[in-house]
Amino acid sequence: MINSVIRYTVVFILLVLLQILLFNNIQFSGYVNPYVYIMFILILPVEIPSWLLLILAFFTGMTIDIFTGTPGMHSSASVLAAFIRPSVLRSNSPRDGFEPGAQPSMLSYGFRWYLIYATLVVLVHHTALFYLEVFRLADFFRTLLRVLLSSVFTVTFVLIIEYYRKGR
Amino acid sequence: MRSLLNFLERYSNLIIFLILEGIAIYFLSTRNYYHNARAVNSIRWLAYGFEERITNTRNYINLRDINANLAAENTALRNSINRLVRNNTSTFYSVSDTVYQQQYQYTTARLTSNSVNKQKNFFTINKGTRHGISNDMAIIGGGGIAGVVVGCSENFSVAMSLLNLDFRVSARIKSNGYFGSLSWDGRDYRTTILSDIPQHVTVNIGDTIETTGYSAIFPEGVTIGTITGFEKPGSDFYIIYVQLVTDFRKLQFVDVVANKRKAELIQLEEKIE
Repeated sequence: MINSVIRYTVVFILLVLLQILLFNNIQFSGYVNPYVYIMFILILPVEIPSWLLLILAFFTGMTIDIFTGTPGMHSSASVLAAFIRPSVLRSNSPRDGFEPGAQPSMLSYGFRWYLIYATLVVLVHHTALFYLEVFRLADFFRTLLRVLLSSVFTVTFVLIIEYYRKGR
Repeated sequence: MRSLLNFLERYSNLIIFLILEGIAIYFLSTRNYYHNARAVNSIRWLAYGFEERITNTRNYINLRDINANLAAENTALRNSINRLVRNNTSTFYSVSDTVYQQQYQYTTARLTSNSVNKQKNFFTINKGTRHGISNDMAIIGGGGIAGVVVGCSENFSVAMSLLNLDFRVSARIKSNGYFGSLSWDGRDYRTTILSDIPQHVTVNIGDTIETTGYSAIFPEGVTIGTITGFEKPGSDFYIIYVQLVTDFRKLQFVDVVANKRKAELIQLEEKIE
């Protein structure tokens, strides 16, 4: 228990650092802004109580908000992503259900499963985030394009990180 | 009572979700950029040290560019000094403070954080109230205008970048003096849009766009960019695309401009209204 708390804390710090130091500095046109920190919500155990998941998501979002100077934006999107995560897991569960203590990882459930799972959560998060950022419906399709392009990049990076995590 | 507890238990997740979203939306809804900047200021002390280190590294990598820019600026300044000196000797003005009193004061600052990839970009500079910076001061950098100070703490100031959907500045075409409103449409970080120029005006690609002195924030005649294209939509006004001279991705050192006579100007304008 204590062990896993420490492990997740380390992963949290690494992901936040990666986001702030690396991905926030990728300023490749206005269309591609990968937000890889959302992976923290993806890797938490399947059986984590929903309330804890929501609070952790809020905390994660707030941390990013502090560093990007956008109070509320990332927190709100992350909490929404955490809220739909249980439904995504349920609708996408393997045939014989999740084992007790299971972790949503590529190692346990395969590439295809992980791709669908990650894509759904990332899409919800990015949609909320980018529309909250512009806060208007003018330019609807341009924002949609930003959501889609950024999601593609985020999911790609998440898959790469997950692939190397698998090796451990 | 029991049924209330049951209800709470069944919907606890939804309730927590709504509470957390409520808090987040509350932060978001104080979106008025002034309040936003103040809130940001009060919680960002944590991030500053960090960002400063990142910026330092980036500065170091870009030293060659910075040097080249500084050298170019030096040459320009030296040229203008020469012109000024000749003016003084050739004309008859006696040098008195009332004539030569500087209306604008410049101070140099360094960016500690910046972005170009959001829709509402802000940047932070390493000078604050202690160095005499206050709200609504203009920021000029990279050869053109860069932003406006919207919030200050003791040692830092947050400025709204020109690359912000909320940013508006009064601008004119240098060659004929027609003025309009310049804003960013959130697409390309090098291009902004000048509107409100009537269609009977002749607009040429390559014309220079500069600031007017109407806002009491920016000095008059600061270059903004050049016209790269224009459209004639159904209305009476052009949509003019302006390429910025300021490259926000490379922006590292800026000048903060204080208008010493702004208080007087605003007071007068308020008296008349």
